[in-house]
Amino acid sequence: MKRYDLVSSLFWLLLSIFACIGSLRLGIGSLQKPDMGFMPFGVSVLLGIFSLTLFLRTLTKKEGKKAESLFVGKSWGRTLLVLMALLIFAKLMPIVGFLISTFLLMTFLFWIFERPKVWWVLVLSFSTTMISYYVFSIRLNCQLPAGLFGF
Amino acid sequence: MGTLVGVLPGIGPIGAMALLLPATYSMTPTSSIIMLTGMYYGAMYGGSTTSILVNIPGEAASIITCLDGYQMARQGRAGPALGIAAIGSFIAGTISIFGLMFISAPLADAALKLGPPEYFAIMCVGMIILSYLTQGSMLKALMMALVGLLIGTVGLDKFTALDRFTFGIEQLVDGVGIIPMAMGLFGIAEVLTNIEQTVKREIFRTKISHLWPSLEDWAESKWAILRGSIIGFIIGILPGGGVILSPFLSYAVEKRISKNPDRFGKGAIEGVAGPESANNAATTGGLIPLLSLGIPPNPTMAMLFAALIIHGIQPGPSVIRDHPDVFWGLVASMYLGNGLLLLLNLPLIGIWVQVLRIPYRILFPLILLFCLIGAYSLNNSIFDLVLMILFGVAGYVMRKFDYQGTPLILAFVLGPMLENALRQSLLMSRGSFMIFITRPISSIILGFAFLLLLLAIFPYFKKRRQKYKEFEEVE
Repeated sequence: MKRYDLVSSLFWLLLSIFACIGSLRLGIGSLQKPDMGFMPFGVSVLLGIFSLTLFLRTLTKKEGKKAESLFVGKSWGRTLLVLMALLIFAKLMPIVGFLISTFLLMTFLFWIFERPKVWWVLVLSFSTTMISYYVFSIRLNCQLPAGLFGF
Repeated sequence: MGTLVGVLPGIGPIGAMALLLPATYSMTPTSSIIMLTGMYYGAMYGGSTTSILVNIPGEAASIITCLDGYQMARQGRAGPALGIAAIGSFIAGTISIFGLMFISAPLADAALKLGPPEYFAIMCVGMIILSYLTQGSMLKALMMALVGLLIGTVGLDKFTALDRFTFGIEQLVDGVGIIPMAMGLFGIAEVLTNIEQTVKREIFRTKISHLWPSLEDWAESKWAILRGSIIGFIIGILPGGGVILSPFLSYAVEKRISKNPDRFGKGAIEGVAGPESANNAATTGGLIPLLSLGIPPNPTMAMLFAALIIHGIQPGPSVIRDHPDVFWGLVASMYLGNGLLLLLNLPLIGIWVQVLRIPYRILFPLILLFCLIGAYSLNNSIFDLVLMILFGVAGYVMRKFDYQGTPLILAFVLGPMLENALRQSLLMSRGSFMIFITRPISSIILGFAFLLLLLAIFPYFKKRRQKYKEFEEVE
């Protein structure tokens, strides 16, 4: 955990420096008349101080038991695939419409875990897509995109 | 629906409310708030079912119920455990609704006398309490609160009407949306974390019978229920505390005053009755600062806060006066909702048990789909969808590095109000921070916050001093 805390504290420190610079550019005004950069400046300074504190505290702490790796023993590849599927869905939905993109997404998501039978996956994906369309678009009047094919 | 959300680990009330919020656009404000609040306290009840039967808390507020609830199930007493959780929740809910009715209006009147320095102090203390109570390091929790405040500054500045940190992105002019953020941090991140590992849920196979507790169970639980109700209600009003702290406090109190504290952790019915009553009472107690002061005391109330704003109601002391239909409609619905929870959920226990058996490989695509639809339907915008996914990644990475999203989201909601209060206070005092000290209410509240910070830091210095003493002795 020590290594991860060092990395994360440096990340937050960088973010606080970036936010500080941005706030100064916006203008912090004065105590009598604070400007729009006042609050983000104060917050980013505090964040910088806390990040440094975490960094120094972690540096001086003795590493206890060996920290387990964040990803060893876990199916992080599956997580990555799901994430990519979500991003592709976001890109596809306005083009092909809600129904087709959702069907494809659901097929992938139902399939990725334990690789069940294809017909089962297709039936489940189709039913989920149609039911969600009925509930959200028709009953709850959510406007879901129709895409190039008009549905 | 709330009970369903509570029963299923993986999507808590925050994520579920974020999902449902777009669906309430076509409803009246009163109906929308009633539905969302109903989901919230339904989830509080549902969380106890998984705690008792599966030893996995459905919600953070049900963690402590696992200790004795699951042990009762192992002893063949799942029925009384579930029954007392439901009845305790009903009694606590009823008591706290009375509290809501009688305290909200006078508090709203008193709140009109509070000024920007007092509001600033209350919001600061709320974030500090929440950071204090959040699992893990308080330093990390405070850092997350600061990040939330920073994200809250994105968009148009209310004083100058100029945009900040939008990087030329048009959709950020109105700021970052709370729905995509909440769904990302709590919905998507949870799913991404869960699908990494294969979690096998072992549902304790026992016949669930005799839901109505025996006379002996009543004798052991009645005072625990009453104490839990009062503890939960009072803690629920405090900013930052609420539904997570109150069950722990109730359990600690019951164990402390019990004649046989060794029974706790081995199936003591008071260990279920007290905490479950406390978390339900805290749910209603949390509505008081929201409706009377306009300050959401915890992230779930922050979702209700967002719902009120979306429906054109500015939360604050004037809600009860200007929108009595919303307030009294909510109170009436909570009476009904409490009764329905008791009447319907106990007979439906069998169904909830079957729901628990649904494999995660079927659940997680559905959760993701609901998140995607919810985020998109806000503004029919792909940007919100992408934003939600990005927050999902951020939430996933944060969990890896042991950072919690709860302080972040509360600070994000409170941030704009906090900034307003701070800037107005400085304008009033012509730049002097002494205004927070010279005004009695804000000085007391800030003093309390400072004390909490000291309490958090004190054990660290005590440990270092001890190590130094040991080092000296060795020398």
